[in-house]
Amino acid sequence: MKTVIEIKNLQKTYTETAVEVKAVNGVSLIFEEGEFTAIVGPSGCGKTTLLNLLGGLDAPTSGQVIIDGIDISTLSSRKIIDFRMKNIGFVFQAYNLIPVLTAKENAEFIMQLQNKSKVERETRIAELFKAIGIEGKEDIRPSRLSGGQQQRVAVARALASKPKFILADEPTANLDSVATSELLDIMRKLNEEENITFIFATHDQRVIDRARRVVYLEDGVVTKDELKE
Amino acid sequence: MNYINFKIAWRNIWRNKLRSSVVIAAVTVGLFGGLASTGVMKGMVMDLVENAIQSQVSHIQVHNEHFVENNEIEYLMEESSEILSKVRLEASVIGVSQRTKSFGMASTASKGLGVMINGVEPENEKTVTNIFEKINEGEYFESDKKNRIIISEKLAKKLNAKLKSKIVLTFQDYEGNLSGASFKVEAIYQTQNSTFDMMNVFVKKVDIDRLLMLPDHSSHEIAILLTNEEVTQATTERINKLIPNYLVEAWYDIDPYLNMSYSMTSFMLFIFMSIIMLALGFAIVNTMLMVVLERTKELGMIMAIGMNRFKVFKMIMWETTMLALVGGLFGILISWIFTWYYGDVGIDISIVGEGFATIGYSSVMYPVLEFIDYIEVVIMVMLTGIIASIFPTIRALKMKPAEATRAG
Ligand SMILES: Nc1ncnc2c1ncn2[C@@H]1O[C@H](COP(=O)(O)OP(=O)(O)O)[C@@H](O)[C@H]1O
Ligand SMILES: [Mg+2]
Repeated sequence: MKTVIEIKNLQKTYTETAVEVKAVNGVSLIFEEGEFTAIVGPSGCGKTTLLNLLGGLDAPTSGQVIIDGIDISTLSSRKIIDFRMKNIGFVFQAYNLIPVLTAKENAEFIMQLQNKSKVERETRIAELFKAIGIEGKEDIRPSRLSGGQQQRVAVARALASKPKFILADEPTANLDSVATSELLDIMRKLNEEENITFIFATHDQRVIDRARRVVYLEDGVVTKDELKE
Repeated sequence: MNYINFKIAWRNIWRNKLRSSVVIAAVTVGLFGGLASTGVMKGMVMDLVENAIQSQVSHIQVHNEHFVENNEIEYLMEESSEILSKVRLEASVIGVSQRTKSFGMASTASKGLGVMINGVEPENEKTVTNIFEKINEGEYFESDKKNRIIISEKLAKKLNAKLKSKIVLTFQDYEGNLSGASFKVEAIYQTQNSTFDMMNVFVKKVDIDRLLMLPDHSSHEIAILLTNEEVTQATTERINKLIPNYLVEAWYDIDPYLNMSYSMTSFMLFIFMSIIMLALGFAIVNTMLMVVLERTKELGMIMAIGMNRFKVFKMIMWETTMLALVGGLFGILISWIFTWYYGDVGIDISIVGEGFATIGYSSVMYPVLEFIDYIEVVIMVMLTGIIASIFPTIRALKMKPAEATRAG
């Protein structure tokens, strides 16, 4: 198996607060290509912080995040934005989509930023919309899509430019069970059929049940790393 | 090239329709205020200039260069009649007139006042100035009788003179002797410029030349009227080459004050608009700060997924600039309609503007705006938009995507 991310003794301490918070406190992990992994734990255990470090949205206090052999903390803030765009797909809990763009425009947004040709965009988006099961809603703006549909568009956008892996922070937190299982089905399918790496931060049991690897986090420390199959 | 920034920016404007409409309306009203008042001012000044050209200055004047310095009657143009016929052949010249000019005293039984005596050839003079159209009483040099004078309504009142009154003109003749003669008031004129009216009386050139004992075919001043103002400079240069020994001047050199009021209007537009745009700029900055603050999460997300700072800046700049431009275009449109309509129909300011007449303005004004004025304003609006977007963008870029994308 090919390693996509390796983190070594990662630490993140928030010092702006009255009391120092060690949100991530010495985590070392290896994520491999094709993983479908949930990072789980109670609220405040450091999941979002860890995911932000993995995605280069935040810089660690110490330790390393090595993606494809590159320690991303060595990249300039300018380069890191580009690096993120090329290599990492993001799905957040909320505020994922740009409200003034249609579903299709949202999905192709990153491809637009990368100056991909119209033909390339059209083909890719058609393919993805089929995969996420919201054909026919291409020209609708997010406010007129259900929460589940919005998250699926976010997944489509994250996948559009074929990143190395997808980071999803509580993607199902605002969804009912039907929407949750639909979204999970789609992601599992993409994972199995296209070998796309997914890493979730979640405390949603439904996600945990479908994950193939579960990393348990408590107070910024990994307490258990379980491979289910 | 992709227009994704532009597209988002444009649609974002219409996200909060009420707020954007308020800003757009403010810009519209501001620009209309600035443009319309400049248009009115410009119209008034152009009218003033046109009036001055048509009734006093003409487009071009020719003198003996010494005459201009001290206005003494000895500084003649000896071949004046010859020059007249030469100039008349020039393209774009529609009228030429030669004049004798002499300072003198106009007196009646009750009073005496200093005046400029203009000796004119009535038929030639009619082709150059429109005084003959400004006659209130009497006829403009209709009779062939000797020593007739035309004075203004204003002067008539001051001198206590009426039509057919006798007025004695006293002056120094060509030989330096004090001389004089009695003239009969043949007509009374009135222009819009009362200062001019108080100063100028008109007599026939033959009469005054004889009294002054001037040589034949000479004059002090040749006035030239052209088909339009735009050809003034070129024609002045041509005539100058034609008669290099004399001083050939265009209206703007003859009357620098007149010219100054003319160029002032463009400067005023700039000042007006700068002040208006400054005020609007603050309103726009304020609005865009609100916008950026409202979209913290969204902008953070956009940056998180890969939009770089420069593109974010462009996006906000586009939004700000277009917001200003939409208002700007409305403002320009309304101003254009305003000047188009009132430029034709005119605005009657006689109720408020009686005083204006004394300094040469008409009581009906026709607003004028030139293409370049609109261009200048569009550029100013765009600049305001760009400058006004800097501060909100700085705010937007301070956001950390890691914070912005956290739920809640
Ligand atoms: N910007 C911050 N400043 C200070 N403390 C923070 C900040 N962000 C998160 N924390 C703290 O770090 C800890 C981990 O937070 P987080 O990563 O959001 O956990 P989770 O996503 O598992 O709920 C929490 O105690 C939280 O209060
Ligand atoms: Mg979290």
